[in-house]
Amino acid sequence: MAFDKMELKDIEVWDGNHAAAQAMRQAQIDVVAAYPITPSTPIVEGYAKFKADNYVEGEFVMVESEHAAMSGCVGAAAAGGRVATATSSQGLALMAEVLYQASGMRLPIVLNLVNRALAAPLNVNGDHSDMYMVRDSGWIQFDAFSPQEAYDLNLIAFRVSEDHDVRIPAIINQDGFITSHTAQGVHTLSDDVAYNFVGEYKPMNDMLDFENPVTHGVQTEEDWHFEHKARQHNDMMTIVPGKIEEVFADFEKLTGRKYNKVECYDMNDADVAVVCMGTSVETAREVATEMRAKGIKAGVVGIRVFRPFPFFEIAEAIKDIKAVAVLDRCAPGGAAGTLFNEISGSLYNTDLKIALSGYIYGLGGRDLTKAHLVDLFNELQANADAGKVLTQQQQFIGVRGPKLAYL
Amino acid sequence: MAKQGWDEFEIGSLLRSFDGKIDKCPAHTPQRDRSYSENNSHVASVADWRLIKPVYNKDYCIDCQFCWVYCPDVSIISRDKKMIGIDMDHCKGCGICVEVCPTNPKSLLMFPEQADEETELASWPTKDEEEE
Amino acid sequence: MLEIRWHSRAGQGAVTGAKGLADVISTTGKHVQAFAFYGSAKRGAPMTAYNRVDDSVIMNHEKYMEPDFVFVIDPALALTTDVTVDGKDTTKYIITTHMSTEELIKAQPKLEGKEVYTLDCIAIANETIGRPIPNTPMLGAFMKISEMYDIEFFKESMQRVLAKLPQKIVDANMVAIQRAYDEVK
Repeated sequence: MAFDKMELKDIEVWDGNHAAAQAMRQAQIDVVAAYPITPSTPIVEGYAKFKADNYVEGEFVMVESEHAAMSGCVGAAAAGGRVATATSSQGLALMAEVLYQASGMRLPIVLNLVNRALAAPLNVNGDHSDMYMVRDSGWIQFDAFSPQEAYDLNLIAFRVSEDHDVRIPAIINQDGFITSHTAQGVHTLSDDVAYNFVGEYKPMNDMLDFENPVTHGVQTEEDWHFEHKARQHNDMMTIVPGKIEEVFADFEKLTGRKYNKVECYDMNDADVAVVCMGTSVETAREVATEMRAKGIKAGVVGIRVFRPFPFFEIAEAIKDIKAVAVLDRCAPGGAAGTLFNEISGSLYNTDLKIALSGYIYGLGGRDLTKAHLVDLFNELQANADAGKVLTQQQQFIGVRGPKLAYL
Repeated sequence: MAKQGWDEFEIGSLLRSFDGKIDKCPAHTPQRDRSYSENNSHVASVADWRLIKPVYNKDYCIDCQFCWVYCPDVSIISRDKKMIGIDMDHCKGCGICVEVCPTNPKSLLMFPEQADEETELASWPTKDEEEE
Repeated sequence: MLEIRWHSRAGQGAVTGAKGLADVISTTGKHVQAFAFYGSAKRGAPMTAYNRVDDSVIMNHEKYMEPDFVFVIDPALALTTDVTVDGKDTTKYIITTHMSTEELIKAQPKLEGKEVYTLDCIAIANETIGRPIPNTPMLGAFMKISEMYDIEFFKESMQRVLAKLPQKIVDANMVAIQRAYDEVK
């Protein structure tokens, strides 16, 4: 069955959800199995409309839950098709079991995760609780800071995930509402150019290859399980980083848009820096520029690839910085923030002496204002001047009530 | 509640329906005598959501209770299966009551929010013969 | 940076209006942002939507805004909520109401001393489009007050933005935009 191509303007005003849906359409996916949940609903809704309007040739499978959605994706990927879906928050929690199946079975699936808080209290707005919840599920995790990046990283994720040396599923994170429902200018690729970049899907060990029958999802016990998981980790640590760099480079050649595992902004001569994820990276960049006008040499580090975690790149990025704040948009639940822990880990066996502090912010969509970031950079400058963290190691930003500080 | 700090909430994701302990079953207490808490939906008004409002004409009402059954916001006030009127604090002007009203002419009609109720009642439409 | 805050009810088309405006402005080479606070996201519940416009890429994602323009597309919200919150001395208010500007300011003293313009977007929408969707009329009024674009260019652009709707509805919207442009004061 033939399908129609869509004429796009060079710059379309799209929100992050629509940008992701358009990239999914251009990738010519074989199977999308999905169950809608706010704020990711418009991705699958938009994709379903493309299907209804004959812009999509593949199957769209309506299922009864997110668990079934990811199960459908696993089945279709094992059968040998290009597969993608989208979810958020509780939906991801229900998928969690099957995420481990997908990565363990080494099935390349692309999942758009529109970040949202986890109940209770019930909340549809954005934070990174869902992203962190599946951090150890064995999936690659990209993070988009804007609708443009949600579009680009979708195209990139198929290439990385489906590579026969990789065969690891990939999540593209974007901030619920702040990216997913915020319309901005998006530079588009034509359908042909986008599809050529993603490339034709090349099956591997597919169940529909009748000449080479295989069983997927086998049982192993103590005899083999460890080796399988070790192989997964080894490939994440040794193969995936290089593959991501290769695809980022190809994408830059095609579009001029350069992505890095760690995105540095004004870091070369900075004294103080903020490390964060999502839309906060862009707001922090704007504030950093304003701080420089006030005499504070501020920089920003954005985490583009959260898994596999870019340990060496982070250490390199902040090695000459005097004071660094790590921002976590997730309730730490009796620990330091996840990103804080990873970055502490990146620095531990180095000779670097950086005043490193952690901040919890923005839970349930609470606004991170420019005023918050101005205060934060001033606090970091004081740490830099003193050569040590003057506050407690973990603080909260923007929560009502008496100041919270720990550790 | 809007400005409460993290240390001022009760633990858990809960809101109390009433101030203090309930000694008597609320179902047997008239609404005006119930000690609703400030977080109770009864205290919240959606009156300003309305662009159009229902006006009730008791002359044609047959107390069939259709409006009471269908109102999505429990804003039709009925006692002993007799229609009394509309709770205008909780009516958001959706018009479903008018839609389901079976009398001819209808006993409920929608008018602009700023319309004068007495004027509208005085000029109520007459029986529509076409519908028979 | 030009910043606009819309006061609306879910279902009245503030998000569509904000995105439509962003779309039109984007074609003139400027950078845009259109977003919203959804609250409980129930049809009829009060909500706010936002536009940012700038000559360079917009990196600020904070929700806090001191708007240059405030659009109020539901007639009750100017009375029951504070539409002047976080306003500046220079903020311009365009408010839909069946009242005159003087009557409205009398009914809502917070608007006193502010630059207030009024029109009845609800009546215009009802009489042209046939439904109380006051978003496109508000944009017509905005073109008059801001003098951002020539009204003919704006209508032409909006025809493209609305192209997926039936022609009859598109035509009705054009009449609504023009009427709002002519009637706002």
